This record gives sequence, structure tokens and C-alpha cells, in this order.
Amino acid sequence: MKRFKREAALLPPVAGYAKRKAFFMQEAELPFYEYRIDLYCFSPAKDITAAFELKLTKWRRALKQALLYQLCADHVYIALPRKVLRGVDTGLLAKHGIGLLAVGSSGRCEQIIEPLTSRLVLPHYRAGFIEVLKETRHALR
Amino acid sequence: MPSVEPRVITRLGSHAEKEYVEKTGRLLDGLIIGANLVESTPGATGSLIVKLGGDTTSLRYYVDPMTYAFGLYVDPDTGRLRSDLDWIKSEQKVSRKSKQVIRNYKKSYRALAEQYGPPFDTALGRGMAVTWEDLKDDAKAVAACSSVVNYQLQRIKDEFSADPEFAAYAAYVPKPASVFAPYFYIDPRNAAHWEPLVLRLARMTVELKLGVPVHAVICVDESFLADDGFVKRLIEGLPGTGVDGVWLWFSKLKEDEAPEKKLRNLRAIAEALSEKMEVYNMHGGFFSLALCKFGLSGISHGVGYGEQKDVVPVIGQSTPTVRYYLPAAYKRFGVPEIERAFAGLGIRTVADFQREVCSCVVCQGIVSTDLAAFQSFGELRLSTPKSKRLAQTPAAAKRCRYHFLLNRIRERDWLKKASVTDIRKAMQAALPTWGVQPSIQDQIHHLRVWAAVLQ
Repeated sequence: MKRFKREAALLPPVAGYAKRKAFFMQEAELPFYEYRIDLYCFSPAKDITAAFELKLTKWRRALKQALLYQLCADHVYIALPRKVLRGVDTGLLAKHGIGLLAVGSSGRCEQIIEPLTSRLVLPHYRAGFIEVLKETRHALR
Repeated sequence: MPSVEPRVITRLGSHAEKEYVEKTGRLLDGLIIGANLVESTPGATGSLIVKLGGDTTSLRYYVDPMTYAFGLYVDPDTGRLRSDLDWIKSEQKVSRKSKQVIRNYKKSYRALAEQYGPPFDTALGRGMAVTWEDLKDDAKAVAACSSVVNYQLQRIKDEFSADPEFAAYAAYVPKPASVFAPYFYIDPRNAAHWEPLVLRLARMTVELKLGVPVHAVICVDESFLADDGFVKRLIEGLPGTGVDGVWLWFSKLKEDEAPEKKLRNLRAIAEALSEKMEVYNMHGGFFSLALCKFGLSGISHGVGYGEQKDVVPVIGQSTPTVRYYLPAAYKRFGVPEIERAFAGLGIRTVADFQREVCSCVVCQGIVSTDLAAFQSFGELRLSTPKSKRLAQTPAAAKRCRYHFLLNRIRERDWLKKASVTDIRKAMQAALPTWGVQPSIQDQIHHLRVWAAVLQ
């Protein structure tokens, strides 16, 4: 059993989840203006990009950032420890098409809300980020 | 309720900002320069004043004497009042070749204290801030007032006169539009001493009969705006000093976050005092500018930010990003926050952008053929190869600053003709449009508050 003390502790389980969903190309802490996308991924097979915002508790703050990441990623998720999910307004997340991922204390991730494909994606951001991923060829293991 | 044509006075933070003032100077109403900047670059400051304030452009200028820097300040970490003058110190190399550093007074403030004389230089000498006791004696207080205003009137002239090559230019140095009486930061904990002292110094400066308008600066913590007693004392006490104007500086006051009560009191001060003197907000934004309908004569702010200012300077933080000023909200936002709203507002083309967001010459030039070019207002790069964090490119910051200044000038011109109803309508216009966009909606509440206060 594991307690998540730092946001960064959520990264390995979330990155593993993304990988299982065929998002093999990944980059952590990808800068997007004043923000850093905790995990940005691309699935060449599906031609889909995904952004994950990890938070230990402050889901509203995560939502704020997630809304902006809809400009550069097809799917946007907020990932939170399972035990803090109770306070989350899932209706609000669903309304905006933001996915929700629960990270269990064992590290197991479960999709609580499926993200909608963002209709706000701006091609220049998306293409630019895919390029970054291709250049770095960096997969988190 | 006297309605006045508002003035926008730009504050020059450093000489790196000179180009903005030079390019927009003829559209602005004035320039304010801190005396510490004058002391660090007297020649360059003098040239700029002659250039902008000379016969051809006659831009009014002011020298902020910055006397508060020699007083008490609030430690930003502990909230305690400090008298050690550490806020005007910096790490300095012992010698050019040495690696050893010592913490000492910044050269500009040391030079300023020498120019002012007692009690400012004595405060530096003893390593303890100027106290009200230093100015208890009338003769000493009058001498301090005299030297502070003489500095504002003479320093630039003297700089030219001292150099035989430029001595002839001394005659071209214009007088400042007004002089400021010495002022100090007033904290709620020491208001009983400093409040009457600041008013006394203002009165003494007026009594010097200099032949130039004398303005006072009321530099207080923003919490004073919630104190009706203070508001009453100020309204009743300040006219008695005989000053021709007052510059209000509510430290840390953010117009877009302030509660209605504080903004109502700001309006009340402007309304009441403007019947007897000019009233300026020293670090104000659009709300203050709109108070021209209630007598406020104008505002001053920096070229890119500075619509609010903490008395204690921010030290040791990276250069803040200059965000994009969204004219509809009279507030700055990050590029992605604005772009996120495009779809919801139906902004799909350059024409849409110019209609719904901005059509100033800067925006017309940047967003000319492709909407995606808007991102260049937020362009980032690694400032050094070793940097881990991205920082805004100087070019992006420059675009944002010019865009802001041009909009501020446009707002001022519009306010001259607008009625209070027009202003309130303009403020409320963004609520059903920008105000419902998810990336903006929780940052636009101020428009409702402002409109209510102006009612």
C-alpha cells in the first residue's frame, strides 16, 4: 500500500497506464506557456495525443490547466489519487470533456471519466509537440 | 462631482524601458521617474527629460523622491516592520577583481541620501531607518522638505551644469510639473505617528512657497481602504495642508481583486478631494482611470505592468511574464487563456480577432494573416542554455507592452467622451461573452464590482 506524498509519485503509474493504451511516445513536464504539462503523450498507431495533469488534491486547479491543454492535446485527463475522488465534481469535468483517472494506492489506474476528443486543438501546438516527442524519442519506463 | 479629462502618466522603471516612452511619449500625458533612477543614471535621465520635455513635445514630468525607501518597511516573509534598511541593500563585490561580496546600500540610494542630507544620510550612517522622531523638530523637518524638493527642481539641471560640454543644455531642462513633499510608507501599526507626520511634511513643503505646485503622496497599506476612519481623516485633513495635488498609493491594491468596499472608498476619496486638489492614483489601472468621472485626474503605471505595486520590492524572483492585456476585460491574461476562448466566441479569422479582441496597430501587425500568430505574444525560450525554465522572449514582452500602452491611450481618449453609463455598459459587455468562457470566467468578476462601484 502506498500513499502519494508528492505529485511526481503519480507519474510512473499514469505513464504506465498511458503506455498500455498505446501512447508510447511520452514526455514529462512539457512546457506550455507558463505551465508544464505533467505528461504529454502521442500514440502513432491511433494518431491521438493526450495530456495528463497530475494533482494530489486540488482538482479545481487541475481543471483550470486541463482546459488549456485542450488547445494542444486531443485527450486531456486529470489524474488524482483514488482517495480524493469523492470531492471532485465529475459532472463539471464531463461537461468540459476532461477525462478523470483514479490512481489507486497500489499504482493501478482506472478511468473514471472518458475524455472527449478536444475540438479546440490548434494544429500548430499539436504538431509542434508531436515533433518534440519524435525528436526526443523519450519513453518513460 | 467634477469630471476631468484623465491623464496617463508612465513610470520609467529603468532605462531599458526608454524606447517605449520615446515612441509613445507624444501620446502620453506625463512621465514619472524615481529619484533612485535619476541617481543611478543622471546623464541618461537628464537627456531623456530634455528630449521629451523640451519645447517640441513638452511632456510633463515628475521626479518621485522615493523618500519612503529610507523609512520602515514590512518584511514580506514575516510581516514584521523592519528598520534595518535592508530593502535598499544589495550584494556587492568588494572590488572589481575580488570574488568576495558584502551586503551594502545600493549606490543609487547612497547617492540619493547624500543629495538629501539629514535625516536621510544620517539614517544610512547609523544603519537604521528614518523615524518620526528624526523629523519631530520643525526646523529639521523643514530642512528635509526643502532639500527633497530642491532635488526635484535642480538635480537634472545641475547634472548638465557640472559638465562644461553640456552646460548650455541646463537652460533647456524643463521644470517638473509639480514637486512631491517627502513621504513615507504608513502601516496600520504605526499610522498614529506617520499619518500626521506625512501631512505635516506636506504642509511644510507648501509653506516653502516654491512657485511650483506641491503634491503629497499618501503611501499606505491597501487595508486602509477598508478603514472608514482613515478615509474620513484623509478627506478632512489633506486639504488643510494646502497641497495642489495628491498621489494615492495603496500598496498591493489590485483593482481587479479588491472588494467593493475598498473601491467605493477609493471613489469617495477621489470625489471628495478632487474638489480641492488634483488626485492621482500612483499605481492604478482602468478602474482608477474611469474614476476621472468622479474627479480623479489621472493614473501612473509602468510600461508593461505596475498597475499595482507593493511598497516592498520583489527581490530574487525571475522576471515576470508580461501577459496580454485583454481590452474587453481591462485585465491581463495568458495567451492560452485567451486562445481557449476563441472557439466559444466564434473567433475563427483575423477579422474576427480584430473585431472581438483587439485592432491596435501592434495586433494588426502580428495577427495579420493567420490567427495562430497570436501565440507570438506569449513566445518562450530558454533564457540561457543552462536554464531549466522557459522565459518569455524579449520580443514577445515588447509586443505585449506596446499593445498595452496603445490600448491604455485609447481607453483614456475614450473615457474623455464617455459617460458613466457608457463606461458601465462597456464593463458589463464582456460578462456574457468573455465572462462565460471556462478559461476566463473566474477572473472577470471585477467587471461586475467595478460597474457597481461606478453606479
